[in-house]
Amino acid sequence: MLKKLKISKYLAYLFLVIVSAIWTIPVIFGIVTSFRSQTEVVSEGFRLLPVNWIVENYVAILENTSTAPILQWLWNSVFIATLHTLLVVVVISVTAYGYSRMKFKGRDLLFFTLLGISFFPNVVNLIPSYKIIDILGWVNTPWAMIIPGLAGMGNIFLVRQFMKGIPMDLDESARVDGAGDFTIFSKIILPLIKPVLIVCALFSFTGSWNDFLWPVIVYTDVNKMPVTAGLLLLQDVYGNYRMIGQLMGSAILAIIPTLLLFFFAQKHFIKGINLNSGIKG
Amino acid sequence: MKEQSKFAPLFFVGPHIILFLVFILIPSIYGIYASFTKWNLVGNPEWVGLDNYKTILTNSDSTFYSQFFNGMQNTFIFVGLSVPLMIVIPLLIAVAMEHKEVKFTSLFQTLIYIPGLVSISAAALIWSLIFNAQLGVVNNLFGSEVVWSTTQPYAWLIIIIITIWAGIGGNMIIYRAGINGVSKDLYEAAEIDGAGPIRKFFNVTLPAIKFPLIYTMVMTTAGAFNVFAQPLMMTEGGPRQSTTVLMMYIRDLAFSHGESIAGMASAMAVLLGIVILIISAIQYYIMNRNATT
Amino acid sequence: MRKRLMFMLVLLTVLLAACSGDDENKIQFWTPLTGDDGAYMDKLVEEYNATEPEIEVNHVITSDMYTKMYTVLNSGNGIPDLSIIHADRIASFVEQGLLEPMTDIMEAQPNLNADNYIPQAWTAGEVDGTQYTIPLDIHGSAMYYNEDLMKKYGVEHWLDDDVVTFDEMLSLQGQLEEGDYVLNDALIGWVVLAQLQNLGGDIQEDGKPVIDTPEMREAFQAIKDLSDAGIMTPYGEDGYLMFQSGNVMFSTDGTWSSTGHAQVEDLNFGVTNIYSFEPSIFHNRSSAHLFAMLTKEERTDEKEAGIADFLEFIRENSIEWAEAGQIVASVDVIESPEYENYMQSFFTSNQAEEESLYIYTYEHYPYVAEAIDTYVGDLIHGEIDMDEGFADMQRFVEDKVDEGALDMENTELLDEDELEEELSDE
Repeated sequence: MLKKLKISKYLAYLFLVIVSAIWTIPVIFGIVTSFRSQTEVVSEGFRLLPVNWIVENYVAILENTSTAPILQWLWNSVFIATLHTLLVVVVISVTAYGYSRMKFKGRDLLFFTLLGISFFPNVVNLIPSYKIIDILGWVNTPWAMIIPGLAGMGNIFLVRQFMKGIPMDLDESARVDGAGDFTIFSKIILPLIKPVLIVCALFSFTGSWNDFLWPVIVYTDVNKMPVTAGLLLLQDVYGNYRMIGQLMGSAILAIIPTLLLFFFAQKHFIKGINLNSGIKG
Repeated sequence: MKEQSKFAPLFFVGPHIILFLVFILIPSIYGIYASFTKWNLVGNPEWVGLDNYKTILTNSDSTFYSQFFNGMQNTFIFVGLSVPLMIVIPLLIAVAMEHKEVKFTSLFQTLIYIPGLVSISAAALIWSLIFNAQLGVVNNLFGSEVVWSTTQPYAWLIIIIITIWAGIGGNMIIYRAGINGVSKDLYEAAEIDGAGPIRKFFNVTLPAIKFPLIYTMVMTTAGAFNVFAQPLMMTEGGPRQSTTVLMMYIRDLAFSHGESIAGMASAMAVLLGIVILIISAIQYYIMNRNATT
Repeated sequence: MRKRLMFMLVLLTVLLAACSGDDENKIQFWTPLTGDDGAYMDKLVEEYNATEPEIEVNHVITSDMYTKMYTVLNSGNGIPDLSIIHADRIASFVEQGLLEPMTDIMEAQPNLNADNYIPQAWTAGEVDGTQYTIPLDIHGSAMYYNEDLMKKYGVEHWLDDDVVTFDEMLSLQGQLEEGDYVLNDALIGWVVLAQLQNLGGDIQEDGKPVIDTPEMREAFQAIKDLSDAGIMTPYGEDGYLMFQSGNVMFSTDGTWSSTGHAQVEDLNFGVTNIYSFEPSIFHNRSSAHLFAMLTKEERTDEKEAGIADFLEFIRENSIEWAEAGQIVASVDVIESPEYENYMQSFFTSNQAEEESLYIYTYEHYPYVAEAIDTYVGDLIHGEIDMDEGFADMQRFVEDKVDEGALDMENTELLDEDELEEELSDE
């Protein structure tokens, strides 16, 4: 029995170490490349360590404050993504509660209809979406980035799925005790789904952070842009990478805030609350 | 016993419905309307009825017919190759991390999650340097002369590699959150019954995370049908348009250099949407039925 | 907890409200100039604003400008006053009624006339006798050579007549060291179009797009021969980077790349014409950045005067733009002694060079170029059979033209039967 545990432990370690290594090497390569000159990138090719470490790429990125104010972009992104994430958590927890634990006519039909509609690929929808933002007067404002994403169905679907895993007995006994929906939602369900809400918050933050198609359309002011859209401005029109090191450097800078959030968040979804307590194997 | 009030559901789902109407439904309806028109994105759409659909589905002499079917075929190849890996690999990782005696899980988890944060253009550049036949490591390591991006099956291979590398972090975390919620008693009970790790996985873990599993399956599949950035950046759809997925054709029709052919693009997008809908409905139905029995 | 959240929301709202600026009174100027190009243009705009003009210019760089243009044109709000668009879009934009003529601008500043610009750059904006644009630059194909590699193989004399020919390059077949190549296939679609001009072909016949012509086939075949001879970098390899790493003698990329190549130490390179069949006939397929005004109702006379001032300033001072590696369109600039310091001055150094810059202005050129770009790699590297590829390309263009056509042309698409029906109704 113990021996079995030992073997499986080593197998688990082996698997995790191999996967982590494969996943990490390209990232390290990217980081290292940001410290190399163009000359070295094209002459030496793939090397894990540069021959000469240089910081010129980062200097160039940070110095260009007129066409590419990257620190301003980072701040814009933090602002947009944070506010978006806070609102998402409120909207999805409330909405998912409605679709999973309340009874009303056509509930599942409504939910799956909305989910289905949201599966249609967005292509020319860009034009009417912009028109709507224009009518609302949100062009060139952070609202254009913060609000439309709240309509998404993905996170609601996820939270709903987790809520379905919570036994209905809990609600019913609470109702017997005279609790209403708001009490059940805030006192019973909300604490139980905290881990998945944190996961959703992380996804929303990352999603908002990484979106670049939409902000390019709704922002004209370079100083108001979020960072991922802004980074596109660093690239050459014809897609040639004049400055491989700089491109890497700016991409590395751009992941730092999300990475910090991840460090903070992972404690919470790992120490998850026992949310499948009622399920018996 | 307090009954649910009649208007309570309205309060819970109502606000989101308004958001949905404004930001998803209206634009989507417009997109569907556009599929019945000839439209250059700027002027007023001109109604052509089912012409676009007829051309795409029945006129085998048309470029749009061959683009649609080639794009759809390639999209299915991508979905078929990527989705199983996008489910199985993160699930294995999450299970391995759940092993009682495994430490440093936060470290492993972080390392695997980071690639998903790297912007797609930087990621594509990293991987194309790695796979570059002259400068890269892969060919030097394996001593092959093949240029991966223009030779099948390697072209698919690099697309799948970058997709999985950047894409499994999310599912991994969902499984982690799910498995964490499983009561430790269940595992102990199973152990007392003499269950090994494999039996514990199938008898305890899998049933306990069935709802998150359904979610990841449906969403990963829908996402894979919408793919375009990875093939565009790694192979530009080649060789011989064998990795040109449908979304690449659609985007080219709507937004490339010439006058936009947005009506045709919308029709293709609607057809793709219908395929996604059917597939996810089937997935949901099958998995949900298995889950409830 | 709830109070704190409310407070934060209120605070944020206030912050957001404070963000909205007033750019109403500036000339909104959109460009697709990302990367360093944008920084050079920014500098020009800054210098102009420093002259304290009545209306300042606000330069907006967008990475996806054309999509963004479609969205604002469609909603009718936020249309820029001035923008830079590419030469190959002009015919189609005019056809769609998206551009306003430059007539008033040219009246306000008489120096904005044909004599003061490179002819091709000027005429690229002329449709049916009306001038719709004022040019900034010409940018196009250019061929960079690696001096050290040419010396190594003793072929420096190829450059004596400024034209490297197919035959000259083919003479190195079998002579190359492992890992060395004579040329890459960067921007190969543009090279094909240059060869089409060298062979006297065209991409249209009576206004209809044609790809499957003897000249086009010959152009593709000639380039395929180079690839078959093993002197071209393999399919899918990054020829641009391989030139920078010193393994490729000739790189057929663009005028704007000189700044990128210059970043690589130890790379001794120069620029010349795209290779040709014979030294006497050569072309460099080009495009141009052109100032244009999108159709907009509320563009005031004051703003138009401001635009004219700005364009005149650019005409006089765009030497800065040469930094970006582009061939400046203003004759005053290219005739100034400073301009000779720039590598691309090669392309305006004499009459023959200037005439080699070829800009396609055919309305359906974008579809033709798209077809060529889609198929060229597979064709020249032998992945697709020529006959099959040409049939596909021809069909590709015809189908797109049919679908993309506007109202006026839609009538041509009706079958004869339908046409008869329509006639009998009347």
